[in-house]
Amino acid sequence: MRKFCVYGKGGIGKSTIVSNIAAALSENGKTIIVMGCDPKSDMTRNLIGKRIPTVLDLFRSKGADKMEPEDVVFKGFNGVYCIEAGGPEPGVGCAGRGVITAVDMLDRLGVFNDIEPDTVIYDVLGDVVCGGFAMPLRQGLADDVYIVTTCDPMAIYAANNICKGIKRFANRSAVTLGGIIYNGRSVVDEPSIVEGLADRLGTKVLGRVPMSLLVPRAELRRKTVIEYAPDSEIADTFRDLATAICENKDRVMPDPLSDDELDEINEEIEVLLKEREEN
Amino acid sequence: MDGGKFFGAFRASSGITDAVVLNHVPVGCNWGAAIFKTTSNQFDMRHACTVMHEREIVFGGEDALREALIRADELYDTPLLLVIAGDAPSIIGDDVEAVVNSVTLDAEVMWMEAAGFKGSMMDGYEEALLRLAGLMKESETIQGSVNLIGFSPDDFKVDADVKEIKQLLLDAGVEVNTVISKCSLEEFRRAPAAELNVVLGQGTLLAEQMKKELGLPYLKMDYPYGLDGTAHFVNAISEELGTGHEPEFDIEPFKRVYLYLHELYGTPVSVIGDFHAEAMANFLDGELGFNVEVSARNEDDYFAFEEEVRNSNTTILFGSSFEQNIAETLNIPLIRFCYPVFDNVCVYDDAPYAGFRGAVCLTEAIINTVMSYGGMNK
Repeated sequence: MRKFCVYGKGGIGKSTIVSNIAAALSENGKTIIVMGCDPKSDMTRNLIGKRIPTVLDLFRSKGADKMEPEDVVFKGFNGVYCIEAGGPEPGVGCAGRGVITAVDMLDRLGVFNDIEPDTVIYDVLGDVVCGGFAMPLRQGLADDVYIVTTCDPMAIYAANNICKGIKRFANRSAVTLGGIIYNGRSVVDEPSIVEGLADRLGTKVLGRVPMSLLVPRAELRRKTVIEYAPDSEIADTFRDLATAICENKDRVMPDPLSDDELDEINEEIEVLLKEREEN
Repeated sequence: MDGGKFFGAFRASSGITDAVVLNHVPVGCNWGAAIFKTTSNQFDMRHACTVMHEREIVFGGEDALREALIRADELYDTPLLLVIAGDAPSIIGDDVEAVVNSVTLDAEVMWMEAAGFKGSMMDGYEEALLRLAGLMKESETIQGSVNLIGFSPDDFKVDADVKEIKQLLLDAGVEVNTVISKCSLEEFRRAPAAELNVVLGQGTLLAEQMKKELGLPYLKMDYPYGLDGTAHFVNAISEELGTGHEPEFDIEPFKRVYLYLHELYGTPVSVIGDFHAEAMANFLDGELGFNVEVSARNEDDYFAFEEEVRNSNTTILFGSSFEQNIAETLNIPLIRFCYPVFDNVCVYDDAPYAGFRGAVCLTEAIINTVMSYGGMNK
């Protein structure tokens, strides 16, 4: 069974990428589980066409003892199994603890054992902001981590923080960094910036997702581009990315950048911004 | 071995004897705080709890707190509900104030944050008293009266000790206005009526604040153990208030066990506890002639204390129920004298450890413990 997590700054496109990768992998007849670990709980919307009840919704309404696997696992596009961890209302409780609780409950329900998936993909909230969001790293739920980033300084900063999280748990689990996924939808779209980041971290860029109007169009219809525009170039990009991740054997323990090294990258971005302004 | 800020706040708050404490904590913290209070008074169940479980940790404990406030108000006929937010709600950031403000109850509600990780038990006690000070009302001064500050309702021998100290002061022409924190809400409200605050080990911040805001002076005193300790205690207070009383005490009971006391002279002992410990060590050393080998406070390094005791000649240990293991390991008797005592009950309010009569009771307890543990020559 192949298990991996996708991390990245909030709003960077993780859910779009994860749902499309899952849809792409399902085309090969594989059994796929995707689990959204974000209180926003909308990662699976494009696979199912609507929001689904989350594990924590059921915990709240039914209680842990009365919960059944069918309450929280839903089949979406091409039979992809979809789960959302869910979370508390904004501003209350502890979302990080919520992720831990949701994963514990799925384990108790034996969901992964019953479905026997070929691939499990975790889509984890923005940054490793607390122990809860490091759960997939800490407990070895995944084999490796893929970080989505654009050329924006804050996205790169978050990517570096995630690498710090991976390194922190290096002694306790076998989770490693599988690579970077470059999302080219920021103001500065310069792949060499992210390639430079990957190089310094000791990893590589596994795929590049270019800007495409088909993505928002598909999402407005609550679909992945694999479903909405299966013959499009962007759908093929996701298929290639899915294959690259599944076949990737090049996993590393990242070497996170210092503040000075991050500043050097920021300076490169600033030069590119100035060039753009002058043109 | 310190219980942390939550326990200190709980002890100070539950000392308002007609108030109800509502612990906003998981079940373990609540049980821990309660059990130390109820061993010697099993009817004193004036506390409630939100019993936070995983659901409250993940989704926030505000709904549980609101429900608990409403139910506690219905269940208890109390003028005051004191909400103490412990570790878990402090970590997840429950908006306790908003919840308290969102309900209209018969009882007055006051809340305080007391996460165990944010300070020591004494910090919790001190800060809780500062918070409770908001309940005090301007009162006309009662000449020759004092407040005693530093008590908790779960102190070992607290009822008997307070009774003894009150009588000693009364004999010296001094009236005890309020015992903090072991008093009714009404008594607490009228604390500003005292002429002097007497601080016994803790509660200094409250005394400082009352001095600053009300001009009420305070005196810091050791806990009155032993004949000398008690005489000094009474003298200092009566001198401060100008009542000029010379306390008298009876040494007849000590004469009756003179041979035992002579036999025990020079006994190596060790003492650990809260602020009571130093006064106890002074009594044992200065009045009974024991040799105090190790003396430590709860907030000191407990393992270092254990090691020092092990490497000493200690033959009697003075402490709390927590010292039972060390005493058992070293095969020496343990005399419990300070919080927490949860493996002995203390229900008779006429056998104090404080004051002149307390010195007799304490001496009796020591001799009896040694005799029953295996003879005077062990």
